[in-house]
Amino acid sequence: MTPQFVYADFPFISISILIPLIAAIIVFVSNEKLAKPISILSSIVVFAISSYMLLTYDPSGYKIQFYEKYTWIPQFGISYEVGVDALSLTMFWLTALSFVVAFVWSTNIEKRIKEYFIAFLVLEAACIGVFVAWDLVAFYVFWEVMLIPMFLIIGVWGYSERIYAATKFFIYTFFGSLFLLIGVIGMYIYNYTQNNILSTSYFDLLKLSLPHNLEIIFFLLLALGFAIKVPMWPFHTWLPAAHVQAPTAGSVILAAVLLKMGTYGFVRFSLPWFPEASKYFMPVMFALGVIAIIYTAMMAIAQTHIKRLIAYSSVSHMGFVTIGTFALNVEGVNGAIITMISHGLTSAALFLAAGFIYERLHSYEMKDLGGMAKFVPVFATLFMISAMASAGLPGLSGFVGEFLALLGTFKVSILTAVLAGLSLVVGAAYTLWLYKRTMFEEELLTPEKKEEYSKLKDLNTAELWSFLPLVVFMFVIGLYPNWWINLISNTTKFVLHKIVGG
Amino acid sequence: MTIVQQLVAGLGIPNFKVLIPEIIVLITAILVFLAELFIKSRALISALTVVGLALAAFSMLTISEGAITLYGLYIVDSFSLAFKFFLVIFTILAIINLQSYVESKKTYYGEYYYLILFTLLGLMIIVSSPNLISFYIGLELSSITSYILVGLWRKDYRSKEGAFKYLIIGGAGTAIISYAIALIYGKTGSFDFARIFHVIQDNSDIGVTAGLVLLLVGLGLKASAVPFHFWTPDAYESAPTPITGFMASVSKVAIFAAILRIMVEAFPFSNQIWSYGWAILAAASMILGNFVALKQKNVKRMLAYSSIAHSGYILAALASPNGMGFTALIFYSIVYLFMALGGFIFLSAFEKNGNWTNDFEDFKGLAKKHPIMALYMLIYMFSMIGIPPTVGFMGKFGVFMALISSNVWWLAVILVITSVVSAGYYLKVVAYMYMYEPVNSNKFNLTTMEKFTVGFLAVLVLVVGIYPTIFWEISNILTSVLIMNAGVR
Repeated sequence: MTPQFVYADFPFISISILIPLIAAIIVFVSNEKLAKPISILSSIVVFAISSYMLLTYDPSGYKIQFYEKYTWIPQFGISYEVGVDALSLTMFWLTALSFVVAFVWSTNIEKRIKEYFIAFLVLEAACIGVFVAWDLVAFYVFWEVMLIPMFLIIGVWGYSERIYAATKFFIYTFFGSLFLLIGVIGMYIYNYTQNNILSTSYFDLLKLSLPHNLEIIFFLLLALGFAIKVPMWPFHTWLPAAHVQAPTAGSVILAAVLLKMGTYGFVRFSLPWFPEASKYFMPVMFALGVIAIIYTAMMAIAQTHIKRLIAYSSVSHMGFVTIGTFALNVEGVNGAIITMISHGLTSAALFLAAGFIYERLHSYEMKDLGGMAKFVPVFATLFMISAMASAGLPGLSGFVGEFLALLGTFKVSILTAVLAGLSLVVGAAYTLWLYKRTMFEEELLTPEKKEEYSKLKDLNTAELWSFLPLVVFMFVIGLYPNWWINLISNTTKFVLHKIVGG
Repeated sequence: MTIVQQLVAGLGIPNFKVLIPEIIVLITAILVFLAELFIKSRALISALTVVGLALAAFSMLTISEGAITLYGLYIVDSFSLAFKFFLVIFTILAIINLQSYVESKKTYYGEYYYLILFTLLGLMIIVSSPNLISFYIGLELSSITSYILVGLWRKDYRSKEGAFKYLIIGGAGTAIISYAIALIYGKTGSFDFARIFHVIQDNSDIGVTAGLVLLLVGLGLKASAVPFHFWTPDAYESAPTPITGFMASVSKVAIFAAILRIMVEAFPFSNQIWSYGWAILAAASMILGNFVALKQKNVKRMLAYSSIAHSGYILAALASPNGMGFTALIFYSIVYLFMALGGFIFLSAFEKNGNWTNDFEDFKGLAKKHPIMALYMLIYMFSMIGIPPTVGFMGKFGVFMALISSNVWWLAVILVITSVVSAGYYLKVVAYMYMYEPVNSNKFNLTTMEKFTVGFLAVLVLVVGIYPTIFWEISNILTSVLIMNAGVR
């Protein structure tokens, strides 16, 4: 299956990477008050571009669309090569959406407003770059650039343990990505010695036929980089720390976008490049996935800090993506991709909810919370929908992906599917638990608390508008999954073409 | 014909005019030396030095073709010209920040200027010597003046200690190199790189190997590679900060260039000993430099250890004795100039303030008081870690490529792991600048020159990091010049 290239008439992708960067420069030189409007405006433009691309994308056949390629460092055969297939495009779209949400939400930043928005704008450019780059060096550059603003976001605008969390986040991911770099360079050199092709392009490396032992080594090197980013058990320990300490918008981006980079890497690189190694490591990945799902779901139940609970639930959901991906069949990979999108929406919404609660009650600890529902009805409703979508209620986005992922897994390993399926129950338990402990149990409130709660304000306009799009798209995906599956199905076939043929 | 050319023609030395940059530097040094006796204004002396160096840099651009001169003792080719050009430019960048610094420290020695010029002259000689004797002369010239530069604060105990250590260890280093030269001469009967190359290619024995190993030790000592690094932290910490910047960038890079030229031109690739030797020194430097830097409380000392670690990264490229490795070494050493000088000039700019001790504590909340300077420092720090889109990444990327293409996986893995370790201390600087509240609110006085130097280099770090193509091309050309020269003459 050779991909075709549809060159872009207009460089939409490059423009979408440049807009946030230009906006960052404008924010840097302009007044503090303009920082927020400029950021929101630029992110909305990028979102509009990505939506336009999503609607005009041609899902028939496997074509890399909106493709651009320019020479960058000819000595090494490195070029700036961007384009989208359905997987890239949906991730790009999710990124653009998440940043709109993050910017609209960030009303009450008081500390270093300009730097805050600059960091997020640079982050947006880097995140988009990761998903659209087809040149491995360009990919790696974007993948690493993202660390700088994220390090600052956690470290400057986070909570008390922020510096520890930021450093841990940075060092963990940097460690993994350097192995990724070794793997990529190894393949590049191998390609050079075998075929005398000096190129870091994805498609040139795709043509390589590696001997079995090298395939295993390269798979492991790349997988280490991706697994830390996902994060898979046992590399997940940076995530709860980072999430707990990050500011709300940072958590939203971390959960919705950054975690997807790891699973994106597995689907994009590991499967097509290393088909034999993927089959070889399927049991290992299943095991790690199931451990992640069950262990972190158990961990989530035990948490009293609501952000930490959501963070663990993220690891658990990522476990579904892992097992779906390594089921190595169409249903599984489709399910993994849909789960990635869905988790982007639901985790973002849940972190917004946590942020909302903290704004109002200044605590993330469950013992200080509870009984809010009656006083903030609109918020309670949206939070409920998000929680249900996260738990996998049919009709909402979470169900579709996890169902497909389980279906794919069931075809390969019944035991894995059963174990993962059982943990859905645990998943529902902690999500409902979270909701109950923060929203219900009004009868346990003391009179003073009731007095205090009656003064609570419901969602303000900015908060409402950042919540709404997420909830709307949860319904869109939940009710019309076919459109999305149709969109990605050819990409999935391409991803699996060396494994299942075709 | 200029007067110089007429004089030269009279002397009858062929191709003498390619030496004009060196002559200009020498004349400037002598002029500054004399002027220092009579002129009180240090600013004037500083200006005179800068003008002389600018002339030297300009005169290099007029040299259109290379030549061998001084009867085979001196070579001017694009390799030496390119390096000399960078050396001169970066010396200018260090000197323009020297005056404000020494004034703030209430020292008024005029010796700085001509000593730096003599050091530079020595460094220019070592990058363009095709002969062990001229190399040795250049090395001695630059070393002796460096000892004095470090110890110029004769009333300060630490300065004396640093200079003394540097003198003893550096002196031992030059002695070792002279032994090495003697051994190699004894075996091959020549000081000339090309002759040595041919003799060794035909038959190599224990004498040559011993000479080579000693040469490696001596050069490694000058390049502050572990385990011969002991002078580095003390000398770097006790020297006036702009001088430290000069030594950490200009002197060091000249040594790397000389190492590369000697290894490639005098010792055949087939002689694998030197690549193993450098690999071991590089691994030791990376490991020790990074782990010790992690423990430092003082940023200047931390940067000194980081400089040792960077010697490791750069020398690691020699573990891959082929065009790719040499290109990586050239690229990394040129871009290392930007980071090293920028980092130390940043420190010197702030150090003018009385309370600033270069401790991490002093960095608290700097981003609030000097947002733009802090941003520059952030760029340097991330570049030293090796995060794209900075040159530090491109440098490490080149070394990675070279190592993996030669199957030196173990060194690549050490490079990776120590890079991760290095993130620990570089990030600390960023964290202190951005994530803590300022301890005191007084602003620092920074001169325009300091802002310019730090900013210019930071922009270079970023721009060359995003578009390294030109610098890779330069490195490629220089490599091919070197390889062509190997064994030819």
